[in-house]
Amino acid sequence: MAQEQQTEHVGLARVLGPAHVWALGVGIVLVGEYMGWNFAVGKGGAYAALIACWFAGILYSCVAMIDSEVTSTVAAAGGQYTQAKHIVGPLMAFNVGLYLVFAYTMLEAANAITVGFLVDTVATMSGHSGVLDQRPFIILAIMFLAWLNYRGVLATLTFNLVITAIAFSAVIILFLATSGIFTTSPLQHAELMSGPASLPYGWLGILAAMHFGLWYYLGIEGTTQAAEEVRSPARSLPFGTLAGVMTLAIAATLTWYVCSGLMPWEYLGQAGVPLFDAARLSGSTFLMVLLGIGTLFATLASANGCINDASRAWFAMGRDRYLPGWFGAVHPRYRTPYRAIIFLVPIALIFALGAPIDQVITFSILSGLLGYTFMPLNIILFRRKWPLDSIKRGYEHPFHPVPAFVLLALCGTTFFAVFLGYGTQLVAMIAFYIVVSLWFHFWRYRFVNRGAQFTMPWPKPRGY
Amino acid sequence: MDLWNYLEYAAWAASALFGLFIVIDWIKTDSQYSEEFLTSSREGELEALTEEQHHRG
Amino acid sequence: MAKYTAPVQSKIGQIIDVIVLLIMAIGALYIPLWLGMAGSSKEPVAIENPTWEALGQNPAMVGQWEKLGFSDPAAAAEMITARFDYSFSISSLIVMIVVIVGYYAILLRFSEKEYCDVIAEKFGE
Repeated sequence: MAQEQQTEHVGLARVLGPAHVWALGVGIVLVGEYMGWNFAVGKGGAYAALIACWFAGILYSCVAMIDSEVTSTVAAAGGQYTQAKHIVGPLMAFNVGLYLVFAYTMLEAANAITVGFLVDTVATMSGHSGVLDQRPFIILAIMFLAWLNYRGVLATLTFNLVITAIAFSAVIILFLATSGIFTTSPLQHAELMSGPASLPYGWLGILAAMHFGLWYYLGIEGTTQAAEEVRSPARSLPFGTLAGVMTLAIAATLTWYVCSGLMPWEYLGQAGVPLFDAARLSGSTFLMVLLGIGTLFATLASANGCINDASRAWFAMGRDRYLPGWFGAVHPRYRTPYRAIIFLVPIALIFALGAPIDQVITFSILSGLLGYTFMPLNIILFRRKWPLDSIKRGYEHPFHPVPAFVLLALCGTTFFAVFLGYGTQLVAMIAFYIVVSLWFHFWRYRFVNRGAQFTMPWPKPRGY
Repeated sequence: MDLWNYLEYAAWAASALFGLFIVIDWIKTDSQYSEEFLTSSREGELEALTEEQHHRG
Repeated sequence: MAKYTAPVQSKIGQIIDVIVLLIMAIGALYIPLWLGMAGSSKEPVAIENPTWEALGQNPAMVGQWEKLGFSDPAAAAEMITARFDYSFSISSLIVMIVVIVGYYAILLRFSEKEYCDVIAEKFGE
């Protein structure tokens, strides 16, 4: 602190380790196992959801590899926004920054809605008569986590580490308890998935399921937002991100296995809290309580990580004057981007209280998807402008450009899946980004200094 | 009125409390420090700072 | 190349920019909702006096439905018979492809233009 005051500078605090990075990545995403992924079952049946889960796993492995390479080199708050700024150009960076903020803020809203729903379910089960008002619980979840984020990143992500670990253990325990290793298994995959229940929509259902298949992993790329607060980003970020994807692939498959063995697909496809339902069906009160707590913790961990990531991206854009510079402020005592955190609270509340959850999830998925489509372009340009021998990378991903093209193909497939159900939103969303891009290019960009925004100590890119 | 009705009120009150803390601290911070100081963070600067410290250390 | 010095934006200008951005964002997200164009709704097929057999449920499924609290097939009928409609027209698919590709094309083109200025100023001509 003394030094900051001397030099009249205040910046984010570099206090995090690799475990925090894992907790940030997995914490945001694990909630996808507790709610949301099962809409993929509704879109195409249980087998379709499993296939979508694995294809989405491939998609995210590509995302993680590409992201790890770039971010181990571009380590600054803002993550993909800062990458885009250095590699593709300012307008792309502005769009990517908005994808991040929207994907995370919408995900945060979806989490808060789930908290309200869970409280309501527990109230009904405990014999509450009358209708519970979910709003105070939704607002409390968002206000508490905003407060936590406001007070400092170390406490925020340590809290995330603890609750994420508990939520993850709950999935593992549910799997072990129902797998038949210890007692006879209650799972009945063969019966529940026989006949027309195997692929109710045929092959088109598998494509359609990709829409919500992303939900198994959505948000893992947020690890890069911590880049300015991690003690050794070049090592911690690739490690935390890749470990996170592996954790999630395991959790996703186990979740699918338990849930599809307990619930008819028609129910599972629209369930609000599928893992909690699975625990109820297992007949064990212990499991039910455990998974209830797991659901609550997973939603809180996710909303917490989302506030962290969205505010970093918003802050980074304010700092560069892509957004009003007022947002580029750091709290002198807590060392957090406090104005960005405050600003995003009412926005999350508007959507948590005013929009249905599948719409909110779709907004989030679409913003994420636009961001994943940017990544292959990003890595191809990165390798072209700065070949491997020109700058030192903390991590080099193998088989370039195969992951980039695989990712591009999977993104195309997912766009089609979204088009099948939510074509209007897709077009509305892209129309928004086109309008906002024109606004940025012709108006907002005049407040940005040109050369100064390029902050990496790199040589001049090839071809310029 | 049962437990859950009280919990609803408690949740409202706690939300207001957290909100109040944030807003009060925000106003206090903004009035206590100059705008230049608060927005003095620059991208890549931390990088330079830590590297400098490494060289010195 | 001459160094570009960005003007300092006034407080009011900053507030206006934020409001404009917010209106655009909330508009994009809420307009489809208000117009009722959003989302795919599932259409249940009405079946009179449904039985588990008529709904295509085998004994294992019936058992799980009962555990979930649906002891009466009529209560679950709507959930079971509801299906998404995946039919689409080729023209709307083409519109979507054009919109997405066009969007990324605009993005890359303007970005490249701005990027050249950044590099020119940063590394000098």
